Amino acid sequence: MKSHAFALRLLLLAAAPLLVDCSSTANTSSVKAGSSDVAKGKAADKVGPEKDADADEYAAAPDISDPLEKLNRGTFWVNDQLYTFILRPISKGYEFILPRPVRKGIDNAFENVKYPVRVVNCTLQGKFKRAGQETGKFVVNTVGGVAGIFRPAENIPALANLPEEDTAQTFAKWGIPNGPYLVLPVLGPSSLRDGVGLAGDYALNPVNWPYLWWYAKRSKHDWVIVPPLANTLRSTPAQMDKYDSITKDAVDPYLSARSAYSQNRAEAIKK
Amino acid sequence: MILRYLLPLLLVAAPLAVSAQVAEAQTRLKTAVTEVLAVADRTANRAALPEKLRPVLQKYVNFDTMTKRAVGPGWKQFTSAQQQEASRLFSTLIIRSYSGKFTPGEHPDITYKPAVSLGADRVDVPTSMVYKGSHYTVVYRMEQMHITDVVIEGVSLVANYRSQLDAQYKKGGATAVISSLTQSVSRPQ
Repeated sequence: MKSHAFALRLLLLAAAPLLVDCSSTANTSSVKAGSSDVAKGKAADKVGPEKDADADEYAAAPDISDPLEKLNRGTFWVNDQLYTFILRPISKGYEFILPRPVRKGIDNAFENVKYPVRVVNCTLQGKFKRAGQETGKFVVNTVGGVAGIFRPAENIPALANLPEEDTAQTFAKWGIPNGPYLVLPVLGPSSLRDGVGLAGDYALNPVNWPYLWWYAKRSKHDWVIVPPLANTLRSTPAQMDKYDSITKDAVDPYLSARSAYSQNRAEAIKK
Repeated sequence: MILRYLLPLLLVAAPLAVSAQVAEAQTRLKTAVTEVLAVADRTANRAALPEKLRPVLQKYVNFDTMTKRAVGPGWKQFTSAQQQEASRLFSTLIIRSYSGKFTPGEHPDITYKPAVSLGADRVDVPTSMVYKGSHYTVVYRMEQMHITDVVIEGVSLVANYRSQLDAQYKKGGATAVISSLTQSVSRPQ
């Protein structure tokens, strides 16, 4: 029972980073469909479509296998209801209460604290120069940016706009494949590899350390849940925006999210 | 014999032509962005923005090529009328989606990075954009001086729709593609 409760709380607390991935999803399993498959279309009844290099421009776009599509579509629907009726109202309330500069400062501080996630994964990928840059950025923003509320490092070209690194990207660099596409409850688009990576990111994020520490000690200090919850709350508006931008004008929101996820992750791994 | 003298000349001229093409693409993109922002600035009514932006976007974006690639190989099985209808619906969807990204009073801060020639009149113009406090990497893919794709944070707009429209085509051919686009366009905002 205890382990179930722990798993549930962990899942909920991890929702922030997960939702982030919504923005980056996507797939093109269908993109790779050959012209023979297309011939199944009604318009193609008489003659299969000819090869057209121009129309087939995107045949090689990033892809992810989706053997659990039926289950994933179900979870996607449940998540959509959850976002619509619970997370979006919470997000709107948060945006209503706090003005944007304050929210931005809070976001900056939480992102700054995630430094171990970035530096450990840079190091594990052999990107030692990037790890050094991350350290420089963390020091500059922590000292000069009042604990990371401001980002003075953005004004230093060598430290500005460093690509994000996470545990799943490290796994990918090590040659571990995506595995099947998964839509996680609450968190949304992921893959087997990225889902495991998410646990690594969770453990490396200092925001979660008090919770993990006190939980391991079976402590009753309820305050330890506050930092992870605050982290989830502050990141929800951005995640809702990303989710909306991917699904709002989609022909098939599920496929749009899957495609966006696989493309975004493929690009992040390249950087 | 003539080739002996012409070849070195061609070798020198080719990179120059490419660099001119790259510079022109970037200039054209900047012009397009400036025009779009000007229209967005003077359109107070957000609901009217898609129709206000349509002529500007049609001048700089090749919606026919985008639609063709978003549908994929099945495009050749569309009749001419179906192609036109699909292109009209797809452009409406893209323009509406694009218009929805504008927030009154907000201006993106765009940094244009060196454009890259991909050959055959194709140029990628990478940009770095800060909008509403968030940073985005956006690559504009241009062909013959028209935008044919936009890649935001690694996500290609055309590839994204391709995954959806291709699935529709497999279900029911051109009719299913047009029907799904019609449904998306008529969905209330």
